[in-house]
Amino acid sequence: MVENKEFQASAMQGFQEELPSLLTAVQSKVDGFDTIPSPRPENTTFIGLEIKDIESQINVIDIPSPDSPVQVIKSHHAHSLSISMPSSPSGLYIEQDQGDLISQRSVANGTNGQPNLPINFKVVNFEQPKQGIFHSQPMPLRNSHAKATPDQQRMLRSSRLRDKRYDSFKTWSGKLERQISNLRGKSQETEEIIAAEAPEPEPLPPVDRYFDALAGPELETLRESEQLVLPEDKKWPFLLRFPISSFAVRREYYHPIRVNFFFAPWIACLFLALGVPPSVAVNLHGALWYVLMTPILCLELKIYGQWMSGGQRRLSKVANPSNHLSIVGNFVGALLGASMGLKEGPIFFFAIGLAHYSVLFVTLYQRLPTNETLPKELHPVFFLFVAAPSVACMAWAKITGEFGYGSRISYFIALFLYVSLAVRINFFRGFRFSLAWWAYTFPMTGASIATIRYASEVDNPFTQSLSVALSGISTITVTGLLLSTVIHAFVLHDLFPNDISIAITERRTKSNNNYAHVRTASSDAKDIETCLSKQDTEEALNKMFVK
Amino acid sequence: MSIVVVEQPLPPITVRVSNFTAPCMNSKKLDRDLSILTRFHGGYFRISLSLCSQALLWKTLRKPTTDDHALRHIVRMLPSAAFVFLWSFALFFLVVLCVLYAVRCLLRFDSIKAEFSHHVGVNYLFAPWISWLLLLQCTPFLHPNDISYRLLWLVFSVPILVLDVKIYGQWFTEGRKYLSTAANPTSHITVIANLVVAATAAGMGWRESAMCVFAVGMAHYLVLFVTLYQRFVGSDSLSPMLRPVFFLFFAAPSMASLTWDSISGTFDTTSKMLFFLSLFLFAGLVLRPTMFKRSMRRFGVAWWAYSFPLTMLALAATEYAEKVKGGVPNTMMLLLSLLSLLVTFTLVLFTILKTTHLLPYEDPFSSMPTSAHHHDLQH
Repeated sequence: MVENKEFQASAMQGFQEELPSLLTAVQSKVDGFDTIPSPRPENTTFIGLEIKDIESQINVIDIPSPDSPVQVIKSHHAHSLSISMPSSPSGLYIEQDQGDLISQRSVANGTNGQPNLPINFKVVNFEQPKQGIFHSQPMPLRNSHAKATPDQQRMLRSSRLRDKRYDSFKTWSGKLERQISNLRGKSQETEEIIAAEAPEPEPLPPVDRYFDALAGPELETLRESEQLVLPEDKKWPFLLRFPISSFAVRREYYHPIRVNFFFAPWIACLFLALGVPPSVAVNLHGALWYVLMTPILCLELKIYGQWMSGGQRRLSKVANPSNHLSIVGNFVGALLGASMGLKEGPIFFFAIGLAHYSVLFVTLYQRLPTNETLPKELHPVFFLFVAAPSVACMAWAKITGEFGYGSRISYFIALFLYVSLAVRINFFRGFRFSLAWWAYTFPMTGASIATIRYASEVDNPFTQSLSVALSGISTITVTGLLLSTVIHAFVLHDLFPNDISIAITERRTKSNNNYAHVRTASSDAKDIETCLSKQDTEEALNKMFVK
Repeated sequence: MSIVVVEQPLPPITVRVSNFTAPCMNSKKLDRDLSILTRFHGGYFRISLSLCSQALLWKTLRKPTTDDHALRHIVRMLPSAAFVFLWSFALFFLVVLCVLYAVRCLLRFDSIKAEFSHHVGVNYLFAPWISWLLLLQCTPFLHPNDISYRLLWLVFSVPILVLDVKIYGQWFTEGRKYLSTAANPTSHITVIANLVVAATAAGMGWRESAMCVFAVGMAHYLVLFVTLYQRFVGSDSLSPMLRPVFFLFFAAPSMASLTWDSISGTFDTTSKMLFFLSLFLFAGLVLRPTMFKRSMRRFGVAWWAYSFPLTMLALAATEYAEKVKGGVPNTMMLLLSLLSLLVTFTLVLFTILKTTHLLPYEDPFSSMPTSAHHHDLQH
């Protein structure tokens, strides 16, 4: 304990002296800027920074240094501590203390202005973010190295400067943007860079990295030991936050769950074509079907081929319920084609869908108990199980022209799965809202449609009441979801949080191991902390950050 | 005659030669040649599979058809002499291979046992019987109602059924572990064997036996399909040189489509679905040429694995075009038939030009059965 205290004190001292050279050193350490320390759990506090030696501390300080303090990403795991760091290599921008930071739902940090102590972090009750969504507010920057007062001009300039950290996500690494800005006549001045130049694009992580680094039912939560490639605290460019965005498409393609959502737009178009009102168009041209199914076919050839030929993306590794999205497209296409009057095409897609559905179904049933991406509590992702049989039932009925045994069997399977999920309604609570939830309402709707069809064949009060009930449920769900979306979009402004799933590093960075040590030694840290006096820490922080 | 099986690498032959009725020449060259002859393992039956299925394709293409499409008539112009020649050649080659294999059984029985225990080799034990049945199906000399035809069917089917019982029984009694680790694309051959038996039986009019064997084949196909798609870790037991056998993925549904066509009498929806599935799998494999890059570096008997599945697909396409008349199906049929013909012809050419690459200079199964995993069946 004692030596740790001393160590810390000396570290503080060290910081004071180190800082000037730090500033110069930092400028050259451009490479490290794309990695960010992971949010640390609450216990480690600032002391967590003092890992082994000053050297690594300097590295820690160098690192990614977002402009604003590292923030809590998600509340699913421990309350992370945020630590203020010098934000820029070109100068020591000291964060303006924001009193309202602490009042923000998911952020609490200290800066130089007021002594927000590490200990205060513990005291401050990290209000559980409602749904784990965090605000990253841009922080006003202050160059206290040059002047004591905030330098408005510099701030403006720096905010206008392109943040090059996102370059690796851009098509052609940002060259296109540079060209465009050159074309638009912006000056050729070598801009004062905010962050490091990323000379080559960030390598794509292999698939097991997605499983290692992320957790949660949709692999949307970053594990504690992981870092992100992009700054965690800043609000990322909109296109990187927008799921299935144009700039981060490759990374999303390699995400084992997100890849299935590539089918979603086409399935939506198919449903639109299926449900086109008679006043708009009575008979759609057959060519439309071919146009809609071609991208689905190409995606399928790629993804099913990956299942078959093994390698990293083999099915036994990546199987998860959202794979159903890649299967349902076949059945919806078959349904549309059959209702348009086509003969062979629908059978083609039905056959492919059926074959691969049986594989997926068996795999998911086999792996369900041990699959780490499916938590014990049920998540809407399970509803996708209902999607395929219900749509298959409808498609087969349309293909054969009658609601025969094949359709009925399929329908009963769908109904059974629906009921077994519905009775676990208790578990469908308390989930973070996300846009991806929309994918889960359509199985309900599909089941309702199939029930209505079944009720028209087998006409009795039970089936009729069942069809009414299911339709009612799905309508209510969709309406509710629509309202939530509107609220999140316009009232809460957090419809598109930073999409961390696409920003994981290609491999676990070395510094993570240090933090892992620290985390496991959290009890030590706690002791250290209590030994320190508030005064000391306050002074230390002041000295470190006020310069 | 006592047979001494000596488990040593070259040259062990001197002892055996003296037991043969062949002239007693102890020259090294003769020893070497003879020992090569006994090294033709099951993988060489790929060649006979290809040739026999090609003969069947030619026969099917020449069948009288109700389709008035121009392409169909072009295809029918295939001269019958060419077909008979092909059939005879396939028969001759099959006989030679069978004789060689029989000799191997006699002289290197341990190798046969090793083959039986090997996860790839065991499946090729079905291959000779499949070839015989295919030849039987397309024979120009016998009619399905002849007694000799039925007798021959029985003779060729019984070994398949016996092997079925043995091997499928192993799949589920020796624990899931066995199938999940040993399943590989060549296991499709066992399924295809069942389907060919069923197809031939249906052609003879024995619908119930055909259905029975078909059901067995399809049930195991389902299990195999799921297992292979899941790709359990550790199931990468196939060497990269054997990648051509991945084509068997679409050989099985094509054969199933044809079999169901024979059983039900028409190319109905089930057959169509199976045909479409095989078409899709074919497209999926053909669009991944990098998978086959390594195996294409050197010519070997594994290359012959390309031909049989393509021929099966072409056959299914022919039946499909017969049922669903039109431009697109006929074009598909023509293209696939041409492709299979081209591939077979190229392979024959390569074989003639590079015969030395094809000969088995060493027996991959000559060591103890447990170490058979390292052998590739490509020589």
